[in-house]
Amino acid sequence: MSGGVNDMTVADERTTAPAPAGTQPPTEPSRFSLKHPRSRIGWIRPAVWLPLVVMLGILAGLWQWGARQLPYLLPPLSEVGSSLSGNFGYYVHNALVTLGEATAGLGMGFVGAFVLAVLTSELPLVRRAVMPIAVVLNVTPLVAIAPALVVAFGFGAMPKLIITGLICFFPILINTATGLRSVPQQVLQVYRTMDASRVELLWHVRVPNALPYLFAALRIVFPLSIIGAVVAEMSASGSTGGLGTAISVASSMNQLPVVYASILVLAVMGVLLLLAVTVVERRVLHWHDSTN
Amino acid sequence: MDGSVKVTGTPALELRSVRRVYGFGPAATTALDDVHLTVPSGRFVSLIGPSGCGKSTLLRLVAGLEQPDGGEVSVHGVTPAQACAAKLIGLVPQSPALLPWLSVLRNVTLPQKINRGAAGRRERIADFAERRTAPDMRELLVKAGLGDALHKLPAQLSGGMRQRAAIVRAFGLQPDVLVMDEPFSALDEFTRESLQDQLLDLWEELRTTVLFVTHSVSEAVRLSDTVVVMAPNPGRIVESIDVDLPRPRGERLFGERRFHEYEDLVRERLRRAWHSEAA
Repeated sequence: MSGGVNDMTVADERTTAPAPAGTQPPTEPSRFSLKHPRSRIGWIRPAVWLPLVVMLGILAGLWQWGARQLPYLLPPLSEVGSSLSGNFGYYVHNALVTLGEATAGLGMGFVGAFVLAVLTSELPLVRRAVMPIAVVLNVTPLVAIAPALVVAFGFGAMPKLIITGLICFFPILINTATGLRSVPQQVLQVYRTMDASRVELLWHVRVPNALPYLFAALRIVFPLSIIGAVVAEMSASGSTGGLGTAISVASSMNQLPVVYASILVLAVMGVLLLLAVTVVERRVLHWHDSTN
Repeated sequence: MDGSVKVTGTPALELRSVRRVYGFGPAATTALDDVHLTVPSGRFVSLIGPSGCGKSTLLRLVAGLEQPDGGEVSVHGVTPAQACAAKLIGLVPQSPALLPWLSVLRNVTLPQKINRGAAGRRERIADFAERRTAPDMRELLVKAGLGDALHKLPAQLSGGMRQRAAIVRAFGLQPDVLVMDEPFSALDEFTRESLQDQLLDLWEELRTTVLFVTHSVSEAVRLSDTVVVMAPNPGRIVESIDVDLPRPRGERLFGERRFHEYEDLVRERLRRAWHSEAA
């Protein structure tokens, strides 16, 4: 079952993620964390992998049982599997379309949010002007504006990039701004007595200090970017491709195996993205508590 | 009261009737009132006094981190802001304040990459016509006993080692005034004494002016040429006591009577200041 795999991997990854904005402790160097290196060797021991495998088995059994009871709601797993293997190229193509929209939208959101985070942390005036609007934007259900964007921008890539970008924008903005401003007071004092310029302070102190916060945001935002792309595809029925389109077309034709196969592919994509973020984070933040 | 000593040339530090008030109206507290202090170049001066006597405020004024509400602060004849712009001031705060993502070596060399225009500004301040070469930070770290820790991250060091790195970072600036805000207060006694030793070693060599805030009477007496006793409500200087003990001041000093006499003298002045305030 797709949901099961996704949930578990995500839950496991999240145990090492720093908390999002505000709740994360500042990077105070004097604090040692208890180190739990998650060694690769550990996965050889049955005690580590057996619970997951058993749980997956139970879930698959339940699914099969449900599929027999309610054939109009759940397709048998075998049909999902054969749809996947029989039409592999179709799924890969649509997955790449969705992935492209998601990452491009995320990239736009990232650049915009990062630049704005620097501006808000450096200029109180900008902060006061922009932050309230950003908060309102955040509490607005962005999926609700997807149809309006489709009306405005048509069935091409543009509305999808905008939705994805907007969804990713706020977590990056808020976390990065928090990180830029959470440099310990005494560190700032040391560099102020050297008369460090704003740019020097930003480059050598504030931006590196914000990196753990930024990565916490990226862990939230990478899965969100896929949600954004799928929602945008679904609201623009008649789009050329993407897994969201595949799902809405297949469900309108009652092709349940295709629907669930697409969902499974989306889940796997989400997991892979999260893994990629984690790998990069371990590289970049080797000095930080959260990666130990 | 006056804490001045007769000097020729520009003093390293000069405070004239300095006043600093926090808050407004009836809630205002006077952190410093009518403070005069003159420190000749190259002296080690400690500020000691109970909490709330304004010693940290005085230090922040000298470091240009706060502005006085009255009076004048000058560092080598220029304002603290100009002194900072010329990198005349090195600050060692209470916590090491190292950057956790940089190795020890890169932490202490980062100041050389910052404010590169400072050298030129420094030359324009009368006392420092000669050009200086940047010190070898590796050598300084080795001298401070951090030779094995050059490439370690701050989180991999003990508290004492981190504070040593912070001191090396400040000395690496070759500051003309080193301001230290209770740098050893978070350390255990053994570590504190060995760090005092190393601080004195570095200072003997580089002979910068030091303004050192502390709670500890024995620390003040051991390190300083002059101990400035302060009292609260309002924060003011009560007396400055010149400590006339030979240098270098090693461990043997602790056994000497003269050392303890100075300690007793400082304690007595602190007590008197406390009582005069209560009366």
